[in-house]
Amino acid sequence: MQKLDLVLYPNEGLREICAPIKEMTDGLDRLIDDMLYTMYDAPGIGLAAPQIAVQQRLIVVDVSEDKTQPLAIINPEIVRSAGQITWEEGCLSLPGIYAHVDRPRDIIVRGMDRDGKAIEFEANDLLAVCIQHEIDHLNGKLFVDHLSGIKRARLIQKFKKLQAEAQSD
Amino acid sequence: MNPRRAALDAILQVTEHGHSLSQVLPDTLNRITDRRDRGFAQHLIHGTLRWYERLVAIRQQLVTKPLKNKDEDINTLILLALFQLLYLDTPAHAAVSETVALSQKLKKPWARGFLNGVLRTFVREQAEILAKTPTTPAVQFSHPQWLVDKLQRAYPTQFETILQHNNQPPGLVLRVNTRVQTREEFLTKLQAAGIKAAAHPLTPVGIELDEGVDITALPSFEQGGFSVQDAAAQQAALILQPQAGMRILDACAAPGGKTCHLLESCDNQAWLLALEKEPNRMPRLQQNLARLNLQAHTQVADAADLDSWWDGQLFDQILLDAPCSATGIIRRHPDIKHHRRETDISALTDIQAQLLDQLWRTLKPGGLMLYATCSILPDENADQIQAFLQRQTDAQLQPISTSWGQGEMGKQILPGDKGMDGFYYALMRKGERA
Repeated sequence: MQKLDLVLYPNEGLREICAPIKEMTDGLDRLIDDMLYTMYDAPGIGLAAPQIAVQQRLIVVDVSEDKTQPLAIINPEIVRSAGQITWEEGCLSLPGIYAHVDRPRDIIVRGMDRDGKAIEFEANDLLAVCIQHEIDHLNGKLFVDHLSGIKRARLIQKFKKLQAEAQSD
Repeated sequence: MNPRRAALDAILQVTEHGHSLSQVLPDTLNRITDRRDRGFAQHLIHGTLRWYERLVAIRQQLVTKPLKNKDEDINTLILLALFQLLYLDTPAHAAVSETVALSQKLKKPWARGFLNGVLRTFVREQAEILAKTPTTPAVQFSHPQWLVDKLQRAYPTQFETILQHNNQPPGLVLRVNTRVQTREEFLTKLQAAGIKAAAHPLTPVGIELDEGVDITALPSFEQGGFSVQDAAAQQAALILQPQAGMRILDACAAPGGKTCHLLESCDNQAWLLALEKEPNRMPRLQQNLARLNLQAHTQVADAADLDSWWDGQLFDQILLDAPCSATGIIRRHPDIKHHRRETDISALTDIQAQLLDQLWRTLKPGGLMLYATCSILPDENADQIQAFLQRQTDAQLQPISTSWGQGEMGKQILPGDKGMDGFYYALMRKGERA
């Protein structure tokens, strides 16, 4: 397994709409393993393919505390959503900044698992938040886009300052 | 035992044998039967150690030919006498004659004339001698030069105030055990017992007492109705606000003041693991838990060595009250000025960084870690946390909104600031990133 480089804001790849995956390959299987490895190493609870510079509709998540429930979803989509939850979100492509985001609390997700089998399941709470955050990535959207313009600008400014500090050390 | 003799022995234990005052003081005081003598001895010990550097500088004006090493007792006797002459209202003749008499007990009759001469010269020419004594901050405020330099660099406009406050004995602050009584109930009991006390403005469970009273004689002591704890140290549990059912780690727990406060503040309804590295400090922690009727899991372990104690289960909250230079509590432990060396600091910051990084792994996503020190050196505090935040990118500094403390990177309390001990707190949340 290989640790992949994370794409950081403001890389333009994070703003693209990713293409659906049309066939299952060995390369895809390896990519999923590498993405999970990269996600755990970061550490993170989810990772979308464009965050490692692959413009395809693929996400991995694991919100369990002991990191024993990895989940990969190919071509994920949300077929239904309900409720409301506010969660303090962070993003591996925007390290160091966090913000409360409102999203639906309960969702039904459809897609394919890593064996190419069609899946459909209900996700709630943190898992629902995480899957929505990742699917946003596939559509070129970041968690800060859910915030007001002023709040977003302030967070982006803080992020740039942190990046500058990290480079100067 | 003669209080001056007891004081001399205790000071020599600290300055010559490298013992800490908190190790030496209880035994010293136990050897004195009279209550007032006990207070006097404690006053002499604290005062002489507090003003040590300055007293040494004055002695240098008086004793031009240094004594031999084996006569360090006589040398220290001069400091003890100078402290009485300068800072206490002991009549000069009493301070001199009592000191001279002590030299007889030390079986050094030759010192009689020497001490008489030195001390009488001081009494006679005090003004001139003090005028000749250097007025650098290190001497004037009686601190080691390296520490003065460090504090001046860190606090260019505040360092003299810090040095001054380090020399002022702290007041007595209690923490009410709200499982036994409310603060108001306790205040009423104190009032009824004729003890002047007031609610502390910076902690909802704090009480300020007017002067050093015998705490074992206060109402509700036997029932665990309160503990002695400075308002600065009380902030730990006030910041974390542990909730019932949480899994909590107190990583460097002894003597357990903050451990007990964490449990009190959630009515003993949390699962708390208290680690302590030093086996001989563990009994104090367990006694405190027992006295306050609180339950914690205690274990002797180095918190940084996860393999030796961690079962792999994550914590909701972690208190890391890290080993530090203790430069914030010099007013309480004046011997720190004597024991601490500049070279200690980098060793301490290494240990702190280790503890931060290792314990971070044991924190739940979304959980809180509170880093605390009783230091006022940025190396151990704001700089330490800034470096940590860069290493652990999922660590998110949380604002601590209070009326006390200064700084952007965590909150620094300077000694004497609102009457509190010097302390530092930084609250970090483990962010969930996706």
